Amino acid sequence: MDIKCTGKLTFKGGVHPPGYKELSEHSRIKSVPAPKQLSIMLSQHIGAICKPLVMKKNYVTLGQVIGSADAFVSAPIHSPVNGTVKNIALSSHPVLGRAESIIIETGEDNQVKEPSADKFNENFDPGKYTPEQIFEAVRNAGIVGMGGAGFPTSVKLKANPDSPIRAVIINGCECEPFITCDYRIMLEWTNQIIAGALLAAKALNCENIYIGIEDNKQKAVTAFRQAVEKMPAASEIEVVAVKTKYPQGGERQLIKSILGKDVPAGGIPPMIGVLVNNVATAAAIADAVVFGSPLTHRPVTVSGSGVKNPGNFYAPIGMTAGDLIELAGGLTDDAVKVILGGPMMGFAVADLSTPMTKTGGAITVLTAKEIGSIRMRSKETPCIRCGRCIEACSMNINPTKIAHAVKHNLLDIAEQYHMSVCIECGCCSYVCPADIDVAGLIKTGKILAARAKKLMPK
Amino acid sequence: MILTGLIDLWSSSWQAGVTMLVLAAGFALVLLIASIKLKVQVDPKVEQILTALPGVDCGACGFAGCSAYAKAVAANPELIGKCAPGGDNVSGKIAEILSLAVSGSGVPVRPIVHCKAHTGDKTFFGQYDGIPTCTSANALANVQACKFGCLGFGDCVASCKFDAIHIIDGLAVIDYEKCTGCTACSKACPRGLIEMVPFTSNVMMTVACKSQESGKDTKDFCKVGCIGCKMCTKKNDAFEMATNYARLNYEKYQPGESFTEAMEKCPTKVIVYRGKKT
Repeated sequence: MDIKCTGKLTFKGGVHPPGYKELSEHSRIKSVPAPKQLSIMLSQHIGAICKPLVMKKNYVTLGQVIGSADAFVSAPIHSPVNGTVKNIALSSHPVLGRAESIIIETGEDNQVKEPSADKFNENFDPGKYTPEQIFEAVRNAGIVGMGGAGFPTSVKLKANPDSPIRAVIINGCECEPFITCDYRIMLEWTNQIIAGALLAAKALNCENIYIGIEDNKQKAVTAFRQAVEKMPAASEIEVVAVKTKYPQGGERQLIKSILGKDVPAGGIPPMIGVLVNNVATAAAIADAVVFGSPLTHRPVTVSGSGVKNPGNFYAPIGMTAGDLIELAGGLTDDAVKVILGGPMMGFAVADLSTPMTKTGGAITVLTAKEIGSIRMRSKETPCIRCGRCIEACSMNINPTKIAHAVKHNLLDIAEQYHMSVCIECGCCSYVCPADIDVAGLIKTGKILAARAKKLMPK
Repeated sequence: MILTGLIDLWSSSWQAGVTMLVLAAGFALVLLIASIKLKVQVDPKVEQILTALPGVDCGACGFAGCSAYAKAVAANPELIGKCAPGGDNVSGKIAEILSLAVSGSGVPVRPIVHCKAHTGDKTFFGQYDGIPTCTSANALANVQACKFGCLGFGDCVASCKFDAIHIIDGLAVIDYEKCTGCTACSKACPRGLIEMVPFTSNVMMTVACKSQESGKDTKDFCKVGCIGCKMCTKKNDAFEMATNYARLNYEKYQPGESFTEAMEKCPTKVIVYRGKKT
């Protein structure tokens, strides 16, 4: 077993940003009381946007379905508290800007929800559940990929006879700086995550399960190896330590590292028979299948030098960024930038009333010292063709070529250089000595290309 | 001496000269056959249409440029009238070349920016320091409080081939003297604020806001937003309610008293005239 303890497994490209995990990695996950008011976004995932099922002034209870859509690629939304619907109105959304949300005022009878990790032990047996049961439970619980993409998990767990899944990978890399909530749940909810992994594999009738963890989280690797040994049902699970490198937690990169396989450009992992789930998603699957409890709370890290007491919380979905920052002691005086997510791929927000969604695992608050001068764009200098972005690119494309094509509105050239393959990990912007926002330009190019397609005359 | 030299040269190398001549004649023959056999048929009409078009390659017609449009319109006369910069004049010429009778509607279609907020009217939560284009800024939340208003980075300005749109104090303003109605700006705006409107009169009335926020939020975010009070709809039924904002049905617009009254009653003065200054 020891051969893989110092992860040699890796992919080409990537960067090594400082981790800053020490700020919050020792803080246990705290259950927090729901704030007075929650805004539950109707668009929390990839796929059809939910329609509200409740009306103004309706009384809702914890776990009640408050929004759903008929489409296959979608996930219902549940109320995280007992309370009253105050309004259905636009709220700040980290990606869409403004989007419809259900605003719930928490009732006085509301209880703090505790994680159910203690109820899982080494005697867990996935044999009790049929694949159909697992699929239904996950669908009804509204589980989506909690690592950030937000793809409805039930869609991934629907077995497709044409392309059987041969390997399930549980992603515990957490390669973004600052974020530690996945690390904490790996230590605290170990059995629950293994149970989730077994259930996901059972739903797809698959026997190879890997748990991929970066080798800077030795404690988590050890915890999983011990738990796997103790649990009879989990003897087949392989706990793999992979090299610490950003973006190791990207599903394509993780598959390359563990299995040595490439996901085809424009394709998805199931095409090569692989399913990747985040550890938090696995925990949610276990919760949903065993206890039928919907996804209403999630672990969140609030970290960065801009908050007074960084920590990890088990918070209801729909809690605003401001409320969570208050839990972490509030902003320091020199905090200037609030990012939903990590510093590499997160979205900066200026409105602290932006609520957290099912996919939002972190809030990072940076200080002026950390982000350098506030006017980044005046620092940009011409490209010197050093090729560092090409070296750093985790998808093996030529970022600078695409970025320049987009800058000059040459979308066909950008497309020729495989713009759509980019996963927007931001390594190119990170290494650029000329401070060019390469990843930002590629993202802009993708938006422009999508719009041009829509406007094309027939 | 020189003469003898020349005669020597001739007698020693006349074969080479003849070979060259024969070769040249052979190639000429090949080219002659090729030019007849492989001749590309160019429709003289396409050439004529191309000369009639303005030649600015603006792309308003939806084709790659004037020459692509000329080809397309010669093949399919239904496409007449797609040339916005040329207008009725060019449509007429094309119709003449294709010996068709075309009656232009005569109503020019021009863009209107559905926002009235200059920098001073807008609310900002934070400072944006990313890529300075509207499309990039629009990908991020909270660049400015209003998600529906003009961002003012000038994607429309960059798209305009006629220098007819400018950012004036954070708001895109159209110069209707120069505008040809080529629709490039309306395609460039990531927020869809610039709509093409039939200008039935020289100046057009419009509700210069598309904020879907509730009235209270609109008021918080912007000093000159439509708060959806429905006052104008009571004055004239050409004003219709969309999601939390009023919009003018331009087909129904006729300069008249009830419209002026609606404009005066508007609490945020967001109903304005747009068009040529006369």
